[in-house]
Amino acid sequence: MSTRGRITGLALVTSGVATILVAHWMMAFWVPNEATQGVVQRIFYVHVPAAWTMFIAVGIVALASAVYLWLKDERADAAAVAAGEGALIFGAIMLISGPLWGRLIWDTYWEWEPRLTLSLLLWFTYLGYFMVRGSVADPGRAKRFAAVVAVVGSLNIPLIHVSVEMFRSLHPGPVVMNPEGPTLPADMLVTLLTMWAGFVMLFLGLFTFRYAVERLRRRPLPAAAGETGEALI
Amino acid sequence: MNELRRAWLITLKDLRLEFRTGGRLVAMIAFVVLAGFLFAFALDRTAVAGRDVAAALLWLVMLFASTAGAGRIFDAEEEEGAFRHLLLTPVSRPAVFLGKTAANLVVIWLVTALAFISLTAFLDVRDQGSLAAHAAVLLPGTIGLAATGTFFGRMSRHSSLGDTLLPVLTFPLLVPVIYFGATSTARVFLERPWTEISGSVRLLWAFAVGSVFIGAALFRHLTDE
Amino acid sequence: MTLEGQRLVCSYGPTRALGGVDIAAGGGEIVAVVGPNGAGKTTLLRALSGERRPDQGEVLLDGSPVSGADPGWRGRVGLVSHRAGLYRKLTVAENLNFFAALHGVPKARDAVGPALETIGAATLANTRVEALSRGQSQRVALARSLLHDPDILFLDEPFTGLDPAAAAALESTLRARRAAGSVIVLVTHDLRRGLGLADRVVVLRRGHKVHDGETGGASAADLLRYFTVGDPS
Repeated sequence: MSTRGRITGLALVTSGVATILVAHWMMAFWVPNEATQGVVQRIFYVHVPAAWTMFIAVGIVALASAVYLWLKDERADAAAVAAGEGALIFGAIMLISGPLWGRLIWDTYWEWEPRLTLSLLLWFTYLGYFMVRGSVADPGRAKRFAAVVAVVGSLNIPLIHVSVEMFRSLHPGPVVMNPEGPTLPADMLVTLLTMWAGFVMLFLGLFTFRYAVERLRRRPLPAAAGETGEALI
Repeated sequence: MNELRRAWLITLKDLRLEFRTGGRLVAMIAFVVLAGFLFAFALDRTAVAGRDVAAALLWLVMLFASTAGAGRIFDAEEEEGAFRHLLLTPVSRPAVFLGKTAANLVVIWLVTALAFISLTAFLDVRDQGSLAAHAAVLLPGTIGLAATGTFFGRMSRHSSLGDTLLPVLTFPLLVPVIYFGATSTARVFLERPWTEISGSVRLLWAFAVGSVFIGAALFRHLTDE
Repeated sequence: MTLEGQRLVCSYGPTRALGGVDIAAGGGEIVAVVGPNGAGKTTLLRALSGERRPDQGEVLLDGSPVSGADPGWRGRVGLVSHRAGLYRKLTVAENLNFFAALHGVPKARDAVGPALETIGAATLANTRVEALSRGQSQRVALARSLLHDPDILFLDEPFTGLDPAAAAALESTLRARRAAGSVIVLVTHDLRRGLGLADRVVVLRRGHKVHDGETGGASAADLLRYFTVGDPS
């Protein structure tokens, strides 16, 4: 790993962690209680940024996988792996924080809410992505298969989206990405975006390190070092 | 030569092997019949009517049977390394995918027909609704199942996890098929007007056409090295 | 007609199976590729036939690059591998019909009979492959590889498990194809056979070419040294 990469990664991880700590302080002490939901609503500052970060990661995996299938460039595959692990981690944060909040507000751990359902299915697709990588013996084949899983998974998103939309909707509507501008009060929005900035920096920092590790792992060994059997004829 | 003809040759070859070997077919048929039989035991029919759950059970049985069968689609190809030689002929990869999907589809149709008969018989569903309407719902659904199974069956064949990998890969993708398929079939059982069903069937067709096209387009990444 | 592999590099993950091999085979020439287990013989053959895209380097036919993705190229190639590559539950004739039709051989059914006769297996037409002996199914595999009259033939350990009669039939077929001007590349770890049949012999060891020369000048004892110590000079 280059020194520059190391410094970038380290800087991103430390500033990400620091920002997340600040955002936690804001979440706990600074931002006021939401009027109807009370203190419970504060989970929102973890849940929503985690979801957004996961979707960034998912986007990177899908894009990098498509590039890998097209150009067979090792760097694209390394980027897909690095981002895929981020998608799993931030997806797990979202999937754990969502039901915790839902239990208190909706009085149930699992609601068939379209975006939550879609996220769960995507999360399993990425679980499958890593299962394919880990279980296909030929490394070249494993990379191609995994890239295909990522591409097919994202191509299917529109149809899954339609299904889960029609299935049921209980989730609060968008409060930030609203066409008429954010409806969220300013201090809540600031807390939310601070947390998100922290998550994204942490993700990019981890991504930088993970990418470098992947690249190192793939450096070819000296010729035929894995050779077995020197038996004659 | 016409690629469709080559695809057809592969379909015929696969079906001939399928019926000659028999193993996969017999296992799938036994599974769906026994599943229908067991569901009859599992349901308390003083609480639930067979007709209310038949659609859901039918689609789940189809899903499980086609997933279990998908892991075996490439067995005959790999047994003696024949697939390598097939790929070395001038046949295009989309044609290989289409040919094998079509053969898989025929097998799934057989299994679906038996699942339908066994479930309606064992669960004592008297009013089945229009059979033509059932077929109109099942046709696009089974195409989606066949294409997805063939595609990921190729993948699982090279995985040390084998068939246990298939549900993780295919179930999240098949949510639309199960949802639109099972709700449509349920409405056919209840003899609801076709206008209540046609929207879902259109989405089933969207999945069927999409999975066949995407599978054909990406299949070369699963075959060529 | 000349088939050339230039600086072919193939890796399986970190294991480098071919470390930049140059090889050339002309029309009317049998080139034997020999070497100990794990030397990269089969990988070289797969790279030349286009079944595996080399990581670096290219395969040229009369100076223009060829690729396994090109159906026209695949139509010119015949392959016999150490596994029969036939469908066990189909009869010999069904197998050959299927492959002939996929190759687009006109009147595929008429081509199968003569093909079986040339390898002395006309009586086997309606026997299922699962009932054949190793030597018989290898003969059928040879017939299959010749159905579409390829001008480039690859053979991977074709002598494994053949009885003397079948081996003799294979050798005479190869000599006939050589006389007809085909390019023939034969991979074997059987030095004696390789030297007896080939015009030129290429020795691979640990993914590198350590010897390339006419068979006339080299004795088995000379070549054996390449297997054990590499280039004696």
